[in-house]
Amino acid sequence: MSRLEILVVEDDPLARKLMEKRLAEHSLDFAADSAAGRQKLEKGKHQVCFIDLNLGPKDDCSGLDLIPVAAAKGVYTVVMSGHDSEKVVEKAYELGCDDFYSKGNEEANVGAVLSRFLQRREKGGPDQLFAERFVTEDAATRQTITEALKYAASELPVLILGPSGTGKTSLARVIHERSGRSGDFVAINCSAYTEDLLEAELFGYRKGAFTGAGDSRKGKLLQADRGTLFLDEIGSMSLKMQTKLLKAIEERTFYPLGSDRPETSQFRIISATLEDLQGLIKAGKLRFDFFSRIHGLTIELKPLAARKGDIFPLISFFSRGGKRLSFSAQAKAQLLAHDWPGNIRELKRVVDLLAAGQEGRVLPETVGKLLRTVVAEAGASDVLTDGQYRYILEHGLAKAADRFVDAAVRRCLAENGGKKTKVLSALGISTRLLYASLKRAP
Amino acid sequence: VKDAEKELDRLVHDVNSRCSSLRDAAAMLRKIPSSERAEFLALMTEQARKLADDLAQFKPDPA
Repeated sequence: MSRLEILVVEDDPLARKLMEKRLAEHSLDFAADSAAGRQKLEKGKHQVCFIDLNLGPKDDCSGLDLIPVAAAKGVYTVVMSGHDSEKVVEKAYELGCDDFYSKGNEEANVGAVLSRFLQRREKGGPDQLFAERFVTEDAATRQTITEALKYAASELPVLILGPSGTGKTSLARVIHERSGRSGDFVAINCSAYTEDLLEAELFGYRKGAFTGAGDSRKGKLLQADRGTLFLDEIGSMSLKMQTKLLKAIEERTFYPLGSDRPETSQFRIISATLEDLQGLIKAGKLRFDFFSRIHGLTIELKPLAARKGDIFPLISFFSRGGKRLSFSAQAKAQLLAHDWPGNIRELKRVVDLLAAGQEGRVLPETVGKLLRTVVAEAGASDVLTDGQYRYILEHGLAKAADRFVDAAVRRCLAENGGKKTKVLSALGISTRLLYASLKRAP
Repeated sequence: VKDAEKELDRLVHDVNSRCSSLRDAAAMLRKIPSSERAEFLALMTEQARKLADDLAQFKPDPA
């Protein structure tokens, strides 16, 4: 057996001594309590970690807290315990432990654990994440995600950047699953609601708080207690909502609409956007203090066009369990030549359509037809999003049109280094329209 | 009642853990060099004392 880097977190000196003897052929590191264990896990490069469940007298399963830390670093995590109540075993596996054994007959137990670890290593364990949960073969994307997952168990807020359909929600979910947080993953798309509706969705409301509030309703903030609140399209949130949410994030306390009783929620924020947040700050559309609160760790996902090696692994993943698809060489070339403006979402739509069709053998004519259909569908939905439509209903078409013009002007100005002449020519607008827009949003 | 159950759970855990360490250490006594036996025996004595303390300190549920 090759020499392994092993960490043993065990408070009992006799048990530590026994592990030292039993694992003498490996490189061993010990920690006697939870804090030391956490520190060693964060700094070290261990392959296997044995964690005692109760660390210290009167301890209440504090070893469990170390599981997400170890799992997030990809360490094969083994829990050893003097009792194996089903609840504890279930909790340990839920938190991401790889192996669990009841103390007694350690010689056999430890040997069996190491053998299972080696078997898994031969099968290529870390690849499971990129084959099952976030499918990618792109080395840079794998590296980005592996690095990000090191912070999964921390409280650090995460900001995921990337074009629509690149897997921001999937990544947020993976981070939550590896965070060890006992609450739920609660997602909300901020652009799909008007300001009032978003406030009600996030904070919840009491019965009678507004017309139509027939019953009290729990908001997303409370639903995400001890879990993760995923805010998609964060850039579309109004300044007023940013202020309210910032207060709730800082104080972990908020008032549902129509309630005079505060609610408390321990949620971790993961947000995502496709917009240029620095540009929004400059334009006064995003509060700097709010931005500072949400961008602890920033992850940028590449568009599918920049990782075309993922196209066929993703097709295999999406068609798993269904009809086996076989592509002709020309059909493959067509898929690789396409730009995939809708990214993975667009690819999934193509696979769904292929799977629903009659033929398992895919020819270039079919691919061409489907790509045209999917691009047309995406174009139609791009013209007017749900969020834009709701904004129009709330503020009127004229104000919505101004907002649309302002956003285009701001973006074009940012892309052209603030040169107004370039904006005039790039957008094909009059000087009067440009200055009217700048007056509204300087 | 919940606290009493929790206490009992903890006792069961501690007794199991300590006994399994003692049993394993006893089995290992024959395999280790004699120079290390004194250290092992001292750790085992301490373990046995803690085991006795755990049992003595346990307050059974009065009901």
